[in-house]
Amino acid sequence: MEIGLSHYLVLSTILFAIGLVGVMKRKNLLLLFFSTEILLNSVNIAFAAISHYYGDLTGQMFAFFVIAIAASEVAVGLGLLIVWHKRHNNIDLDTMSSMKG
Amino acid sequence: MFDHILSILIFFPALAALFGVVVDKDSIRAYGLSVAVVEFALSLMLWFGFDASVSGMQFMEQVSLIPAFGVNYIVGVDGISLFIIVLAAFFTMIGIASLTDTKNVKNMIITLLMLQMTMAGVFAALDAILFYVFWELSLVPMLYIIGAWGGPLRVYASIKFFLYTFTGSLVMLVGMLFMAYFYFQATGVWSFAILDWYRLILPQSYQLWLFAAFFMGFAIKVPMFPFHTWLPYAHGQAPTIGSVMLAAILLKMGTYAFIRFSLPLFPDASVFFMFPVAIIAVIMIIYTAMVAYAQEDVKQVVAYSSVSHMGVIVLGTFAMNVEGISGSIFLMIAHGVVSGALFLLVGVIYDRRHTKMMDQFGGLASVMPRYATIFGLMLMASVGLPLTINFVGEFLSLLGFYEQSHIITLLAGIAIIVGAIYMLSAYKKMFFGEVTREENKNLPDVNKRELLALIPLAIITVWLGIYPKPVLEPINNSVEAVVQLMHDKAITPEAKSAIPSVIKKDETSTQEAH
Amino acid sequence: MELFLYTALFAPFVGSLFAAIFGASPKTIIAGIIPSILLGVSLLSSTVLLVHVLSTGEAVHVEMMTWMHTGNLYIPFGFLVDQVSVTMMMVVTVVSTVVHVYAIGYMSHDKAFNRFFAWLSAFVFSMMILVMSDNFAGLFIGWEGVGVCSWALIGFWYHKESATWAANEAFIMNRIADLGMLIGIFLVYWNTGTLQYHEAFEAMKHLDTGILTTIGIFLFIGAMGKSAQFPLHTWLADAMEGPTPVSALIHAATMVTAGVYLVVRSNELYSLIPNVGLFIASLGAFVAVFAATMALVNRDIKRVIAYSTLSQLGYMFAAAGLGAYWVALFHLMAHAFFKALLFLGGGNVMHAMSDELDPFKMGGLGKTMKATMILMTLASVALAGLFPLAGFFSKDMILEAAFSEHHFIIYTVLLFTAGLTAFYSFRIIALIFHGEDRHTALGFHPHEAYPFMIKAMIPLAILAAIAGFARPYYFDMVIAVLPETEYHIHSAMTYWTMTIGTQLFVIAAIYFAYKKYMSSDIKVPDGTSEMENSFKYKLLINQYYIPYFYEEFLVKPYRALSRVFWKDIDMKIVDGTVDGIANIIYNTGENTRGMQSGNLSTMLKWMVAGLVILLSLAVIFGLTVKYSGV
Repeated sequence: MEIGLSHYLVLSTILFAIGLVGVMKRKNLLLLFFSTEILLNSVNIAFAAISHYYGDLTGQMFAFFVIAIAASEVAVGLGLLIVWHKRHNNIDLDTMSSMKG
Repeated sequence: MFDHILSILIFFPALAALFGVVVDKDSIRAYGLSVAVVEFALSLMLWFGFDASVSGMQFMEQVSLIPAFGVNYIVGVDGISLFIIVLAAFFTMIGIASLTDTKNVKNMIITLLMLQMTMAGVFAALDAILFYVFWELSLVPMLYIIGAWGGPLRVYASIKFFLYTFTGSLVMLVGMLFMAYFYFQATGVWSFAILDWYRLILPQSYQLWLFAAFFMGFAIKVPMFPFHTWLPYAHGQAPTIGSVMLAAILLKMGTYAFIRFSLPLFPDASVFFMFPVAIIAVIMIIYTAMVAYAQEDVKQVVAYSSVSHMGVIVLGTFAMNVEGISGSIFLMIAHGVVSGALFLLVGVIYDRRHTKMMDQFGGLASVMPRYATIFGLMLMASVGLPLTINFVGEFLSLLGFYEQSHIITLLAGIAIIVGAIYMLSAYKKMFFGEVTREENKNLPDVNKRELLALIPLAIITVWLGIYPKPVLEPINNSVEAVVQLMHDKAITPEAKSAIPSVIKKDETSTQEAH
Repeated sequence: MELFLYTALFAPFVGSLFAAIFGASPKTIIAGIIPSILLGVSLLSSTVLLVHVLSTGEAVHVEMMTWMHTGNLYIPFGFLVDQVSVTMMMVVTVVSTVVHVYAIGYMSHDKAFNRFFAWLSAFVFSMMILVMSDNFAGLFIGWEGVGVCSWALIGFWYHKESATWAANEAFIMNRIADLGMLIGIFLVYWNTGTLQYHEAFEAMKHLDTGILTTIGIFLFIGAMGKSAQFPLHTWLADAMEGPTPVSALIHAATMVTAGVYLVVRSNELYSLIPNVGLFIASLGAFVAVFAATMALVNRDIKRVIAYSTLSQLGYMFAAAGLGAYWVALFHLMAHAFFKALLFLGGGNVMHAMSDELDPFKMGGLGKTMKATMILMTLASVALAGLFPLAGFFSKDMILEAAFSEHHFIIYTVLLFTAGLTAFYSFRIIALIFHGEDRHTALGFHPHEAYPFMIKAMIPLAILAAIAGFARPYYFDMVIAVLPETEYHIHSAMTYWTMTIGTQLFVIAAIYFAYKKYMSSDIKVPDGTSEMENSFKYKLLINQYYIPYFYEEFLVKPYRALSRVFWKDIDMKIVDGTVDGIANIIYNTGENTRGMQSGNLSTMLKWMVAGLVILLSLAVIFGLTVKYSGV
């Protein structure tokens, strides 16, 4: 069986679903970051696969952009996380509700 | 000298208000009064510089703001707007002059000056966006006046006032944007200039929708039944000066906008909606007059009477002929003077007794004869006695609408009966009978400061009632132009026949002019 | 002549302003004297104008300035003195001069003496505008002006509840009629394009009868209010709450006749629509008898005189409606003199009796008040229409007009009313001045009025006595503007039978009144006698229950409805809807703010939910587009 575009897309969808469930369920901020990475990478797979399918490099280029931005985002995010941890001694999501409406 | 008089009129009070922040508290009254006097003098200069024989816009100024979208700063006056501007400046002046001792006088005076800017701006603006900006800005000082100096329900009243009128205005803004878009479609150029819009002939279906959108904004401001309930709260809670400005000038923005926008832009839709609007006007006249009769608070009587009178103004506006529209504009001035004076008068007694309930008074005629006399004069003006200012406007408005519908005019004419009923019974409750309450026995009569505000109003009331020509003539010329424009623009046969042509009557003179 | 015209018009205004300057200060006699003198000036100017009109036969017409000018509408302040208006000017100035002088005495003990004269002169000014204007709008100015002055003067003693109530009633009831008048004016304008009498009447000749009828009806509605015709008559009797000079001037001689004046002025219109004229005449005849019956039993001398005024106004309308405009005007004039005299006499009695108005409590006043008795008897004789006083000539003409126009029902009704008139007039004369002295027992000590008040009344007495003889001269003068209708019963036999018959009938009524009310067993009625409990009496004393009907079926429902409109409709429904919408929005916010828990994972969950909804919408929308074949 040849691995085609649809397989990649199914993989991407599965990863996206896993990431989404992680985003919703996890209470630990660090694990939330992991989930976000999974989400982003699922999209990257889709980009790369579609790019290959159409023979258009734009998609792959976009994937690189995503990787780069994800990396910087994680860097900033982890920085904030460490500050938060220093201040509150935990990184549990439920304690972060200072923006309650 | 007259090149920039309108811009000066608009921005001078604003600038003065900014400087007012640094003026010392003790001299703020003198400062505010002198600014207002200068402003009023400027408005008088505008009047004297105004050429009554010209029907079009005068003192036009144009500065482009956002050229890509055709948003410009355009101001100008014609006979329709001129007198409301003068009246606004006049009321700002006597309002500040007669201001009683309130807390934070400084803030009040600064707010009033800002309000004066927005009022001058609304009536001078000839660009829809500019108009909208001033229209909305005028809410802010009023909100502040009611909210900061109002009665016990002031927060509710001010928020109701703001949100209600604001909601209507947003619908109107959408209408304006669409209007500009249609203009863009037709000409390929963006423009928000009202005079450009006048040249655009829209299909009737578009007109109907746009009319409805503009109507929302204007009707709430007027306020027309059933959108009027913010008014009694606003008046009930506002301090005297707030009620005076609201009744005298701010309500006129709605009816003025009908004449400036709705009629000339959408003549067919105006004719289409003439009867529904007229029926609303009749409801306003009779229903609110009856509600006024039931009131126990004298200020509410005057507040509801405003709605009733605004009904006559709306009716005159939708008469679509020169007599009716001239009458309605004149009645705007008249009602401004009379209702402003009535609110000032209510303020006089409120200052003394800190109540506005009529059952607290009685027999005041013997305690405060001067007060009773001035109140009596304004009462008679309010019920539309001939030779007072209101009669001219009311007579012309009703006369104008009589051409369109006899029955509706007959019903609207009931105004003169129901108006007399609520006004006379209120007067009877307050001034006639024996003085029954101890605290009323030694009330001082009107003092000099109050007379300073009331006497000029009384003079205007009688003067323009006997000799309305100086005001009526410029109004008439501009209205003739508007009616002619509507007649020319009308596309449906009903509208053509409902709106008379002005030129037809003196064909020969026009031909000679060509 | 213009100078005299302006003097006649503005002298009362100056007088009013003069008195108004002293308005708030305590009584100053000068505030009464100067307006009276100025009225004398106005009277002299009017006389000059009368002589001018009589001698040259030309009307004086001036246009002072523009009032309103917009579109096609042009209304000037224009004044016209012709044969009709000069008659009215004479009536107004003569009666008001007398009343002013009289009032100096009558009001001398009143605190608000100055205010009284300010209003009284203002009234005369308004009345002069009303009669002198050359257009309908000017007429309306005067029309409303007299309304306001009447309001202020009826409610002059404003501390009295009944007075202020009556004032408001009069004003509002007049306003109802004024609406009719206003509509009439609108109709005139839109159909003829002008409000100037002359041009409008000229244009009316070419108009459709239907439109003319409408105009005629609406203008007459206006006249009905001012002249207190049924069903707008109740205010007139209540208006007697005002000071007596006011009743004499406004509610007898001048203002209430404005309606008659309007019909006479519009004679060119009403001549074109005889059907409306017939209606006016019938209503007039009805009011004549209707009011006379109410006067029969009333126990308030001023009200009796007021009903008598109402009844005489009915006569005037009957004449005007039948096309005998000059007769109506002539009766108006004669009536003004003797009715004002009667009222002023009533004022003397009232003063003497410390404001007691029940004639049953008087009796025998003739001993102390001889002059008043003579004057009032004279006025009553004139009112009853006995030869040779003024009432005979004018009333007789009306009867003749009705007879020769073959309106025998109207004729009979008016003839019957003449008898009633004589009866009720002499009923009060007998009760007041003759018979047993009933007042001393009740603690009254009557005294005659000041001599100058009596003297002031004498001119009226003379006019009431001799004005009738001026009839032929008056006829010659007034036919210049009014239709030349002379009424001659063809056979001399019928004429003399009618005249003498009428006289005998009237004399019989007078005799009967004297006989019944001079007897010594008249007592102050206490509500127990058989007559007082009869249905007829109750009906009449309660004015046919019409005021009661108005109170129960118009005033109270209006008040209740107003309250419902305010409390239920305005506050609950209209405002409730607005607040309801606001509340819905507010509650939506309140309920959904739980979403903003600040908890990141909850918010993420909402975000995912939103994403899912948006995606599904996109899919649904895409599928719809795909399969809808667009």
